[in-house]
Amino acid sequence: MTELQDLAHKLLDEGTVQVVIGWEDSRRGARPVTITDAEDASRLIFDSRCVHNLATYLNPRRSQVRALGKPAVVVKGCDTKAVAALLRESQFERDEVVLIGVRCGGVVKDPTSDGVLTEETTAPRCVACDVREPRLADYIVGEAQPEPPQNTSLDDMVAKLDAMTPDERLEFWTAQMEKCTRCYACRQACAICTCDRCVVDKTVPQWIERAPHARGNFSWHLIRALHHAGRCVECGECERACPAGIPLMLLNRKVQQIVAESFDFTATDDLDAVQPIGDFLADDHEDFIV
Amino acid sequence: MSANAFISNEQLAGLVAAVVASGTRVIAPVTADDGTATYSPINSLAEATLNGALPNPSLKAHFLPPTETLMSWRQHGSDIEIGSPPDSFAPQLVLGARPCDAAAMDIVDSVMNWDYKDELWNARRDATTVISLACPGIDDSCFCTAVGLGPDSSRGADVLLVAVDDGYLAEFATERGAAFLADNAQFFSAAADTAVAQADESRAAARSAVEANLNVDTKRIEQWVGDHFDDEFWLTLGPRCNGCGACAFVCPTCHCFDIADEQSGVGTGVRRRSWDTCQSNVFTVHASGHNPRGDQNARYRQRINHKFYIYPSKFGDVLCTGCGRCIRACPAGQDLVEILQTIDGKAANEQEGVA
Repeated sequence: MTELQDLAHKLLDEGTVQVVIGWEDSRRGARPVTITDAEDASRLIFDSRCVHNLATYLNPRRSQVRALGKPAVVVKGCDTKAVAALLRESQFERDEVVLIGVRCGGVVKDPTSDGVLTEETTAPRCVACDVREPRLADYIVGEAQPEPPQNTSLDDMVAKLDAMTPDERLEFWTAQMEKCTRCYACRQACAICTCDRCVVDKTVPQWIERAPHARGNFSWHLIRALHHAGRCVECGECERACPAGIPLMLLNRKVQQIVAESFDFTATDDLDAVQPIGDFLADDHEDFIV
Repeated sequence: MSANAFISNEQLAGLVAAVVASGTRVIAPVTADDGTATYSPINSLAEATLNGALPNPSLKAHFLPPTETLMSWRQHGSDIEIGSPPDSFAPQLVLGARPCDAAAMDIVDSVMNWDYKDELWNARRDATTVISLACPGIDDSCFCTAVGLGPDSSRGADVLLVAVDDGYLAEFATERGAAFLADNAQFFSAAADTAVAQADESRAAARSAVEANLNVDTKRIEQWVGDHFDDEFWLTLGPRCNGCGACAFVCPTCHCFDIADEQSGVGTGVRRRSWDTCQSNVFTVHASGHNPRGDQNARYRQRINHKFYIYPSKFGDVLCTGCGRCIRACPAGQDLVEILQTIDGKAANEQEGVA
């Protein structure tokens, strides 16, 4: 991937950016890295283990990243949808970041694995991907890649939950919610969790119980899912980050399905798209109003 | 009972059955359908998976639960009825604890009995007998030997088991452990010399396997961290970090908690303590809005400081058992093995520079 390394070297060397946010190889697989010295650009990689959505490092509240200077960020097509969401929500200006798009043939769920793409190992976000060549980018690097194996298990599981009775579904989710210890790895890994102060951190008054019991955990995860209606780009980073193994993407997928049906909106890299949660249209559905 | 007591697989099953029948809760690693493991109550040995997947959360969750009630209140007119948490717990037995998890209990005892004696922690500790099982090592994120422990360390355990053909060798590490073995002597027999030799061999093999992952001088690290609060090295650790509590919550020694009241109606409620983490922005933010640990560089430095400088300075122990859970849990690839290696290298260079 010398094309990527050469470009990063050039951008740093000529001072276009002060930091390149990308992936490097490590003792335990691929991981995010911030490169500030052009001579370190040779550490950059891109391969099927680069599952992390690096758009999360563009959150302006990550002051330790901001302090490094103007960034270039290496993005897969799916990650550009998160960048677009951040731009639409005015988190930063388009000219404040350089986007290095990589042509992608799919990524695995586990960046510490060997990176071999099979139906089982491929990340759910790669299903029916429409941006394997990024469009929202200043540069595009890498060869065109073949389509990854397709795995519909996430949609299958959502359908299975839909088919359950409310009591069965409650039982399923209660068992999942009991596992949550409120480490907030889901929120912190999320590219679009950009609130200055998360509602769960507001305790005067306390809106959501902070204790990790099933009731408080339900409140937390459902409020988070609803706040992401029409904003979630379904990168799956929350679920990957969860140390308790809670299948959070089942919630997010379901919510985005409802948004697609009700508002004809799906996550997009189109900067001019109108996000349902942030806009009012005179012909919005109102059939939920009694 | 000497170090050479043997218990066969069948007799261990019998021992578990007898303990369960006596009304004592038995906690052991249990593997779920998805391959993950937890320390959960068992009714028979068959339900346990000894030395299977590393359980999550660590054993600390049975002594400092993710959340627990400290008090409750209920208003009756002008009277208020205060409910207290239990001051004692029913006896329980932990079987098959990882040595890194058992050691964590002993290490955290220090802070739980420092200026304030934590009644709930101590009551659960008093009620529990811990039988750990020598570990073969998990993967390249294990580094217990680098922090003064080992895959066959008996620290924090009352009894240590070592797997051999057809069963286990048992050795007691505390008076409680000796009493437990004596009370259950009918399940044990004298170990054959071949079993003793096999145990010695497997313990040595596991030790050298873990030693290959990381070999550092924690005293030297303690000094370097203490002397380099403003070092530029810390600025390299924050940018990658997401600032979540995954590392702290899977950690067997992290013990910080937050206390919050939960009202459940007019005049009723409970006061709970729940796990908290120094990696969170709100952990240190002041009412004024000022945050002395204003970014993730400062917060990650705090994590390393507390574990490898502050706690050792105060209590003589590194606040880390080398279990590697933080490394495996980190979605961003923050790697404590690599960080300790780097700090140790910096400390070594300084020592050489001085010499």
